[in-house]
Amino acid sequence: MTPEDFSVLFLTLRVAALATLLILPFGIAAAYLLTRWRGIGRTFVETLLTLPLVLPPTAVGFLLLELLRGSGPIGRMLDEAGVELLFTWKAVVLATAVMSFPLLVRPALAAFEEVDPRLLGMARSLGSGRATVFVRVALPLAWRGILAGALLAFSRALGEFGATILVAGSIPGRTRTLALAIFQRTQIGQDGAALRLVAVVVVLAFGAVWTTELLTRRRVRRTEA
Amino acid sequence: MIELDVVLPLSRFRLGVKAALSSDTVAVLGPSGSGKTSLLEAIAGLRPKATGRIVIHDEVVMDTRVGVSIPPERRRIGYVPQDACLFPHLDVRGNVRFGMAKAGRSGLFDEAVAILEIAPLLDRFPATLSGGERQRVALARAIATEPRLLLLDEPLAAVDPELKGKILPYLLSVRDAMEIPFLYVTHNAGEARAVAHEALVLRQGAVVFAGAPDEALRSMSLVDPEARFDNILTGTLGAARAPGETGSLQVGEAMFAVPTEDSVRPGHRAVFSVAPDDVLVSTRPLVGISARNVHPGSVISREVSGATAWVRIAAGGLEWTSRLTRSAADELDLAPGHDVWIAVKTHAFRRLR
Repeated sequence: MTPEDFSVLFLTLRVAALATLLILPFGIAAAYLLTRWRGIGRTFVETLLTLPLVLPPTAVGFLLLELLRGSGPIGRMLDEAGVELLFTWKAVVLATAVMSFPLLVRPALAAFEEVDPRLLGMARSLGSGRATVFVRVALPLAWRGILAGALLAFSRALGEFGATILVAGSIPGRTRTLALAIFQRTQIGQDGAALRLVAVVVVLAFGAVWTTELLTRRRVRRTEA
Repeated sequence: MIELDVVLPLSRFRLGVKAALSSDTVAVLGPSGSGKTSLLEAIAGLRPKATGRIVIHDEVVMDTRVGVSIPPERRRIGYVPQDACLFPHLDVRGNVRFGMAKAGRSGLFDEAVAILEIAPLLDRFPATLSGGERQRVALARAIATEPRLLLLDEPLAAVDPELKGKILPYLLSVRDAMEIPFLYVTHNAGEARAVAHEALVLRQGAVVFAGAPDEALRSMSLVDPEARFDNILTGTLGAARAPGETGSLQVGEAMFAVPTEDSVRPGHRAVFSVAPDDVLVSTRPLVGISARNVHPGSVISREVSGATAWVRIAAGGLEWTSRLTRSAADELDLAPGHDVWIAVKTHAFRRLR
């Protein structure tokens, strides 16, 4: 591993971790609210939240670019606030966050669905308000699923390419993550160097997905008991 | 004083319960699927679709006509559902403490643990408890919140009722120690008599009887095929004078021979159950009979349902329910006021606690 390899690795890990932390509160909130929501429109919102999973990442990147560019609705606000986002590491975080969101929400949603709603009613009857019920009952009973989702989202963030390259480019040392670096190295014929990064990303992803599997497997066993 | 006027659409029928309950101890009877559990959940505030009016001790808990419905967390109603509904991620201690206010009455936790006899269970998790233990923990959890009303849903016992798991004796203790008003759902009209001053019989979501539990027995045998009419006796245990002798139970003035157990503690309160099939009735004085409990008495009432006759008898200072065949009741001419003798075998007394 060269110093450049390490710098790419650390940038990737940092970006993926930040993206996961960024979506965690929103993902948990979205999943919990969706489980409690019995009205019409629920399926629509669920579909909308899942969309980044199936859309071409470049399409998502393009939409983000349109929103964030100087003339776009959010870009103008960012400009006025003096925040530079596009083609910085922050844009990488944002792009990977959006792309990873469904992978957090779906397992979290399944985990919350598994919590017996009567336990939530019982907690309320025992004097807890809605927020307390969430913290003391729903969250502790669903944490495995949420953690599994967070790990999946993190794995997805490690490999994000299409949306990132559109909103953040591939600037060495600033926005060039593992996926982008692998692509760039194969383009200039450095296959050996690309292979080192491929090995790194395989090990990382394997570890994250394996942990996810272990978490979900143990949950199944506990439900059967 | 509890005023109920609850309407709740269910999948099979519409629950519509209207009752003014004047006593603080109420038994709710009725066959499976008559809406008893739904009624309790509506009172606890766990059925958002319920409409109507609920007043508990002059406080309006719900009055949907004027847009009032206090959320469940502020109703201060302790609910013990059939399956106990304990929090699986908390041990028994955590479950009992769950609803206790941080600034609540100190000692309440200890009191709840003592009354329900769950001290040995405190570090265990719900998954490792028996059904009866879960119910006790759930009842402890409910009373630890200092509720102004308790709602208890007794699980319908399987074919062989798990007597040891019965919540009834503990409910008796809670009633006597804490004076919390309660609604107790049961299939056992005998339990209703033992624990409540008032009974409500539901059928298809409607009240078919409201009044004294004794009178509820009449409609029960017609309404609920699963109903039980166990005779519940609460008394003081006496010592077995010598090994091999039976124990004794003093209920008021009367003494009964009961099975000796390893754990007999003389002077302690005990609750026994005698099935109505185990109460024999004779119109002549009984001599030369193996049953140890023979008492003179008189017939109070007789209800006939199909080939079965339910006979109520006052004997030994208590009221008994006996189930006979209709032909036997006819042959003996068991009409109200007639003198009879009852005989109950020692081993027909089954200890609940």
